[in-house]
Amino acid sequence: MTDAAVVTGAAGALGRAIAERLADDVDALLLIDLPSESLQATEQSLSQSTSARVTSIGCDITATNTPSSIVKELASLALSPRILVNNAGINRDSRATKMTDEHFRAVVNVDLVAPARLAMELHPLMPNGSSVINIASRAALGSFGQANYAAAKSGLVALTRALALLWAPTVRVNAVAPGLIDTPMTASMPKDVLAAMIERVPAGRMGEAAEVADLVAFCSSPAASYLTGQLLLICGGRSIAP
Amino acid sequence: MPEVAAHSPDPFVLSATPGTELAELDETLLAAFRAIRDALTEGRTVVVVVRDSDLLGHGSPADAALAGGLLGLTRALATEGVRQGWRVNALGVTGDVDTAELDAWITHISESTAINGELIRLGNLHLGKVPV
Repeated sequence: MTDAAVVTGAAGALGRAIAERLADDVDALLLIDLPSESLQATEQSLSQSTSARVTSIGCDITATNTPSSIVKELASLALSPRILVNNAGINRDSRATKMTDEHFRAVVNVDLVAPARLAMELHPLMPNGSSVINIASRAALGSFGQANYAAAKSGLVALTRALALLWAPTVRVNAVAPGLIDTPMTASMPKDVLAAMIERVPAGRMGEAAEVADLVAFCSSPAASYLTGQLLLICGGRSIAP
Repeated sequence: MPEVAAHSPDPFVLSATPGTELAELDETLLAAFRAIRDALTEGRTVVVVVRDSDLLGHGSPADAALAGGLLGLTRALATEGVRQGWRVNALGVTGDVDTAELDAWITHISESTAINGELIRLGNLHLGKVPV
């Protein structure tokens, strides 16, 4: 069996950075995201730029049969999932009074239910010393217009603790909560809004996707072998700022 | 300027029911969100009650996800409703906290105008554990 990392949301800026970083630590990458040219391009690009064997699956992470399909794909490729990064996430922000049921459900299903189901489906395949990293968010501590997102990400943090206790000592489970990260999504925000947000970050800048990827890689590495059930905030100090 | 909600002496109390299934998590959290939002826009204060053991992940993964989700809702809606005067807090309780004590805390934090978006943990389970 080949040592592998499974990364969801791999076609996005953060997922791609995480996959690229983990390629140094495993022999194979399984990239999961919605079917898109971007996913194919990521697979192709990482195949060329890293020594890892790279495969992608285009699928809807919330579909009931998706976790079992991923398990089948892992088996057919003879991959052993030593690392699972539940990175796929969406937001559908709006004031609570205007938030639709559809947007609330969608965020909870993608950001909380899907990672839980995938982790539980993959767990029996994970070898001793494996690691699950759930990508949460600083917004779980409270954020305007993000009731759905905060609920989902805060739920993901508590889920992380439950799975960590359930699967110790063989599989470690941790959560990484990024703050403001420089991605195409943040780049598309109005400049004055983005500047005001950056002003509230003690580090004085947005984080880089590669910095989050480095933390994910640390959490999944033997260097973090005594780390489980924890939430690590990577937000440039925003979570302690006035 | 948004209108400031009048303080209500009649708090809305939402308690998490243990035994949740992952498959129903979206609907359970949605129902909680709608109920809390409705209470806040009616000018009522809200107290969310969850098991401290679920926040720490000592129960099932689904119960942990629900408790954590409700805490996230509490914090987000408190943040969002500052200008409107929304006040929503959470109580994390252990099984040995008696009903009278719980009621007293619900009354206290729903009448206070100084506490918002906060989790108060009753019982001793949280001692020596991480803040959640």
